[in-house]
Amino acid sequence: MQWITIFKKELVEDWRNFKWVWVPLVFIIICIMDPLSTYYLPQILDAVGGVPEGTVIEGPELGPTEAIMFSLTEISMLGVLVIVAISMAVIAGERKSGVAELVLVKPVSYFTYISAKWAAKLLLVFTAYLIGMLTSWYYVSLLFGDLSASQFIGLFLFYFIWLIFVVTLTFLYNTVVKIPGLVLTLSIITIMAMSAINQIFSFRMPWFPNSISEHITTMLAEGAIPNELWGAAGITLGLSVILLVASNFILKTKEMAD
Amino acid sequence: MDVIMMLAPLIIIQFLLMIVAIIALLKTEQTNGPKPMWAAIIILIGFIGPILFFIVGRRQY
Repeated sequence: MQWITIFKKELVEDWRNFKWVWVPLVFIIICIMDPLSTYYLPQILDAVGGVPEGTVIEGPELGPTEAIMFSLTEISMLGVLVIVAISMAVIAGERKSGVAELVLVKPVSYFTYISAKWAAKLLLVFTAYLIGMLTSWYYVSLLFGDLSASQFIGLFLFYFIWLIFVVTLTFLYNTVVKIPGLVLTLSIITIMAMSAINQIFSFRMPWFPNSISEHITTMLAEGAIPNELWGAAGITLGLSVILLVASNFILKTKEMAD
Repeated sequence: MDVIMMLAPLIIIQFLLMIVAIIALLKTEQTNGPKPMWAAIIILIGFIGPILFFIVGRRQY
């Protein structure tokens, strides 16, 4: 029951912080920005002017699968930044202000405290991501052609696994340091380093978490789920569980030490 | 499909985001930095302005 209480407290706090309003709105903008601007690029260039008379501007011929991948590319940059930013203070802020001590002095286990907060944040991220991607799907179907429901669901769920990892990584750093800004910096540096490693060793490590989006592209092109995608998804989920358990132990030792 | 009709939802959502940020700005007692500065940032810098305000502008802890 304590779990439910902390979970609800987190949801209420995020509601009062307007996070339940602004995060979904931002995700809609992030998701539809690129497909829209790509589609209207010729008109935009035309309206802005400066193009010599008689120039024929032809946008690249894009199919619906390429167009919806634009949304994922934007989420992998701006979206991930927003996700890390909304979770950077989730435990670190409460430890800094002393709220965490008030909660943890009661017979609440560290794991209850962390996992309830983690689930509440994931619910917010999931909702925002769902609303954003549904809007993007609608626009892509209108502008670029049909994208089947099974393709959309596959892409949506597999990429969500990467987002779960991002949230969990931020939680880990939340237990390591107390300064929210530092949590943000460390999380982003880790994600960027992982992305660099992925680019260098992508052929040797097809199951690396960062390669999920590449495998999704393959899945959309071939119409079947590649084995590497299952592997990468499994590894990413496993890593997330390990990180969550690790943050439990780190918080325990840190709070004991204080 | 008319360009304006397709872009209208995007503009409406950006506007909504701006309104929510302004409401949050008015309701917040303390911000990191002067309130008029944040009002200008929210209104002038596209959709990045409100995000900046929500992430660094509000003093939450």
